Amino acid sequence: MNAQPPASDTIAAPPERRESLWTKAAYKFRRDRVGVWSLAVVLVYMAIALGVVFGWWATSWAELEGGKWEPPSAEHWFGTNIIGQDIFDRAIYSTRTSFEVGLVVAILATALGAVLGALAGFFSGSWTDEIILWFMGVLDSIPFILFVAAIAYSLGDTPYAMHVAMISTFWITAGRLVRGEVIKLRGQEYVEAAHAIGVPELTIIFRHVLPNTSHILLVQATITFVAAIKSEVILSFLGIGVKDGMSWGLMIAESTQEVLAGFFNNFLAASVLLFGLVMAFNLFSDALQDALDPRTVAES
Amino acid sequence: MAGFSLRTNYCVWPAWVVLVLLLAGCGGGSDQPDPSLEGLRVYRHSTEGTPTSLDPVQAATKYSNLLVINTYDTLYSYRYLARPYELKPNLAASLPEISADGLTYTIRLRKGVRFIDDPAFPNAEGREVVAKDVVYSLQRHFDPATRPQGAWLWQGKIVGIDDWKEAGSDYSQPVEGLRALDSHTLQIKLVKPFPQLAYTLAQGYAAVVPREAVEKYGREFALQPVGSGPFRLESFDTARAVLVPNPDYRWAPVDIYAEGYDPDTQSFSGIEAIHGQLPPFVDRFELAFVQDTSARWNSFTKGNEIQIASLPVELADSVLQSKQPVVLQPEYAARYHVKSDIEAGFVYQSFNMDFPEFGYHPDPIQAERNHALRCAVVKSFDWEARNESFYFGLGAVFPGIIPPVVPEFDPELSRDSVTRDVAGARQLLIDNGWNADNLPELLYGSTGGVRPRQFFEQFRAWLVEIGYPKKKVKLKQFASFGDLNKQWRESRLPYIAVGWGLDYPDAENTLQLFYGPNAAPGSNSSNYNNPEYNALYEQAAVMQPSPERTRIYRRMNQILIDDCVSITGLSRTAIPIWHREVIVYPSSQIIGGYYWPYIALSDGAGGIRQAQTESP
Repeated sequence: MNAQPPASDTIAAPPERRESLWTKAAYKFRRDRVGVWSLAVVLVYMAIALGVVFGWWATSWAELEGGKWEPPSAEHWFGTNIIGQDIFDRAIYSTRTSFEVGLVVAILATALGAVLGALAGFFSGSWTDEIILWFMGVLDSIPFILFVAAIAYSLGDTPYAMHVAMISTFWITAGRLVRGEVIKLRGQEYVEAAHAIGVPELTIIFRHVLPNTSHILLVQATITFVAAIKSEVILSFLGIGVKDGMSWGLMIAESTQEVLAGFFNNFLAASVLLFGLVMAFNLFSDALQDALDPRTVAES
Repeated sequence: MAGFSLRTNYCVWPAWVVLVLLLAGCGGGSDQPDPSLEGLRVYRHSTEGTPTSLDPVQAATKYSNLLVINTYDTLYSYRYLARPYELKPNLAASLPEISADGLTYTIRLRKGVRFIDDPAFPNAEGREVVAKDVVYSLQRHFDPATRPQGAWLWQGKIVGIDDWKEAGSDYSQPVEGLRALDSHTLQIKLVKPFPQLAYTLAQGYAAVVPREAVEKYGREFALQPVGSGPFRLESFDTARAVLVPNPDYRWAPVDIYAEGYDPDTQSFSGIEAIHGQLPPFVDRFELAFVQDTSARWNSFTKGNEIQIASLPVELADSVLQSKQPVVLQPEYAARYHVKSDIEAGFVYQSFNMDFPEFGYHPDPIQAERNHALRCAVVKSFDWEARNESFYFGLGAVFPGIIPPVVPEFDPELSRDSVTRDVAGARQLLIDNGWNADNLPELLYGSTGGVRPRQFFEQFRAWLVEIGYPKKKVKLKQFASFGDLNKQWRESRLPYIAVGWGLDYPDAENTLQLFYGPNAAPGSNSSNYNNPEYNALYEQAAVMQPSPERTRIYRRMNQILIDDCVSITGLSRTAIPIWHREVIVYPSSQIIGGYYWPYIALSDGAGGIRQAQTESP
């Protein structure tokens, strides 16, 4: 580190490009081939989901296009199900469901966890912290599937019952992580300085402290995304997930009635697509975590 | 870090040995015969559902009914092999004596029939069944404290029974129309003729219970049958029940001809081997409740577990050589028997006429448009596809609500109402001013699960094909059938998709589903109320079986078809399949559960396996 003032008689060197945590992380991420490939796969899934949203493909997922349990053919790539619906269309349409659930839950659960975690961390030791921690402890002590099922049942017909159920549990991990990070950050000089010049506490939290936990939130959001997709599949399989539409979980549930007859297309289509997305997102999440890890970023 | 080594970690060996022994024990245990059962004739039955209560007043499901009618006595039962089903005396000594006006039934009970020994009785010895027990058992249906489910069978039909309930269900007070004339004679007086009365007395609801046991066990009585039937319950839980023959039952040599034996259709089962033989033919009757189709099939084919199951429809193509008639592939035929068992009931869908969007409307023009809309939906429905998709083409599609299993069924009736006509449906909508914008939202209620959802998706796709916007056909799923049924009973859903199992083999039992006064919360969930139909129902309801009554039934059926109130129907076909060593002609119907006492095990040489007797 050069602490010397530039000599007046020397030519000023061009300012060194300032490298932030993000640029270093991006550099490191680009060098992680597995991470890049997994991101590419995730983007392909996302493109598929967007295509469904815009009505470019899988528009006939609910129509009866063929006979019962037709084998794969040029017309029906994954064959048809028991009532003649195209399994490929349904599997593709389900990508949209997964992304929709994953994004909504990941964003809202992470945001909720960030806010409550930041409040708990910043006011660590106060009654605010105690209440939030108690709340987290209570929710944590309830078995996840039972809790989600209970909420989904109690909300009944609400199309977003499943989303609410997942958000109300998935925010806790993000909350705990952010709380810990904020406890660490609140002792930093810039926070004390903000205090000293009279910046309101909420402003300090949300303008100065919380942005410095964004690397944690980003990684946590990707983990939550994957968890939400898996949970959606499980809940739909159990009949308390997707109400109107199609999902890989529903396809797998359908397949339970078909495997006895030796028909596996529903199961394979849904499982392979689910596996691909979950695996890709997990690898992407790992790579992102590595790239954003302050220790490894500092080394690089 | 040191690696794990079996050679060096001597202390781990005992743990490994224990683990291996435990695993070996777990693996082999289920296949080992229970030594205490050695020499016993054990028959292992299965059903796809679990009974919820064994108290006759709560025997609402097929599974409860099965156990109830085999552990208790009913006044009447059905002949084992007769098809169509025919009543025969059971606890009653003969069929009822009916007065000329059809209002008074006199029923004489067999003498010497005893309840099983139970601590509820003095000295734990079962006492004789008397007419007062029958009176008490029927009165219980009108006692709210018993949470009865079968009162509708006799409500408003037996003189004084409703007043008795209104007065507080006091068992010390007599019911005018339900009296024990003496210890073995029962008299039932009716408000108006009810030709189906004897049938109702063959249901599990009418099983005869001893008051002592009801009072001793209280709520526990639902799990502890104390009857006089052919079996007594040894154990019961959510997974299985074990029955043993009641040694004091009035066992008599079997006369298969008196039971309605038809050699042409029933000889394949080897049933002749029991002719003249004295039951019981098994020493222990194990009943497994296996809901999962795959698990049930795996248990059945394993060889040493359950001996009877239903062929999963998913396997029909691979297991059956022919569907009409039902014939097994040779490799299965070598091990199993199979039969085709058409449902005594049917599945159907109907509109709730209380909803002005589809049903009755004060404006005659709109009412006519609604009629056209309903008829268009009827035309859109593809029963053949439904049958092929979910019942492997084995179900019987029929027009109207008189199913093939009852004698009043009309095989000549036009099949237009069950023939799909997409073009006709579209034209009907256009002609009556219906289009995608003004078609009403159709909310389809169902239980959760895969199959109901597939029913809905198939139905929605058919509606879309006639021009119904997909977004206007919505699914509303309920956690249980009870929840869904409650919605129908409270008239909260515009559309009903349901099945109906016959309580007795008489079309009256299905026609009452559309009788106006039976509207919700009664059995008429459609809230159909046609004065002409109602009048015909009232006229026929008091008639004994006759060509004239059949003519009226068929007229009522045609009215329903013309009004397009219901999309109907299909009688499913169950395919019971059983091991060849079991001698039985089973029935999957709620009215056909009386065959259990006749089940025998083959000795492998054309006879039946006899009980082992101790050597001198």
